[in-house]
Amino acid sequence: MLMPRKVKHRKQQRGRMTGQAKGGTTVAFGDFGIQALEPGWLTARQIEASRIAMTRHVRRGGKVWIRVFPDRPVTKKPAETRMGSGKGNPELWVAVVKPGRVLFELAGVDQQLAKEAMERAIQKLPFKARFVVRPGTHGAPEVEI
Amino acid sequence: MPEITLAAEVGRTTGSSATRRLRAEGKIPGVLYGHGIDPVPLAVDARAFRTAMSGEAGLNTLLSLEVEGRSHLTLARDIQRHPVRNTVAHIDFQIVRRDEVITAEVPVVLVGEPVEVNHGDGIVDQLLFTLSVKARPSDIPSSVDLDISSLTIGSSLHVSDIALAAGVEVDIDPDTPVVSGIPPRVQTAGEEGAAAEGEATSGSAEAQASEH
Repeated sequence: MLMPRKVKHRKQQRGRMTGQAKGGTTVAFGDFGIQALEPGWLTARQIEASRIAMTRHVRRGGKVWIRVFPDRPVTKKPAETRMGSGKGNPELWVAVVKPGRVLFELAGVDQQLAKEAMERAIQKLPFKARFVVRPGTHGAPEVEI
Repeated sequence: MPEITLAAEVGRTTGSSATRRLRAEGKIPGVLYGHGIDPVPLAVDARAFRTAMSGEAGLNTLLSLEVEGRSHLTLARDIQRHPVRNTVAHIDFQIVRRDEVITAEVPVVLVGEPVEVNHGDGIVDQLLFTLSVKARPSDIPSSVDLDISSLTIGSSLHVSDIALAAGVEVDIDPDTPVVSGIPPRVQTAGEEGAAAEGEATSGSAEAQASEH
């Protein structure tokens, strides 16, 4: 699973997820993509589950890009522990996702297969997301109003 | 390349609230600049703009922008979009002259059937989707074609392989790869096993990311 090789600080504060994605909102490498429609934390496990769901459906061919990286540690206190005694231990890694962010991209397959594969991958995500096509290709309009 | 006339309203109020109301009315805010004039905030009708950009020339359509009774030959240089809705949020119109050479981004279209790549179950990996070209505004092509029928697995086609019309020059390194044929991705039993192992040991691995 994806995780940083080393970190400057082992524990982070939780932060806020207001607003929309500032970058990474367009399909940049492949022909098709998955775009988040809601904010949320995407864990390394969920990224891996989505990737496996997608690549298993495509079977042969196709190239996948993962456009998010889980670089934020999340801590948890052990079960049945009294409050206090400091912050818990790092348990998992998440990527902070804001609406509009493209999470995965796919190329080298036809649109129908890509849509089916990506809809399976969307099932593994903790928020609403949609299948998107590079503008100006596969019948997608260049300008939307 | 034919030019399309687009009417623009000037004197729009700037600022986020006024601009939001403007967009709700079906208009797109923009700015007109170039050739020494002071930047002019303006607004265009969203439907008219979409119609103008839906032609053969796409985003490089030459626009004859009608501003306060004067006509300016312009290009839509920078189109900002809403991150979720993908609607156009703002347009930069740059004034151009017919006789000056300008730089424009032109889409690269792959034509032909990559027979050898298909026989080897390979993947056609497009690396460059738009090509930066230098040309007069009327000479800018709507797209550039690259024939990929000679592509093989392990080889690449470069910018120098693209045939351009007279009066059009490439603005980037000719050795830049445009498309390459890559071998098929086959998920092996070893890869599956590694993935399962990674999931099983992830709990301890995550805790090991040390402070440096």
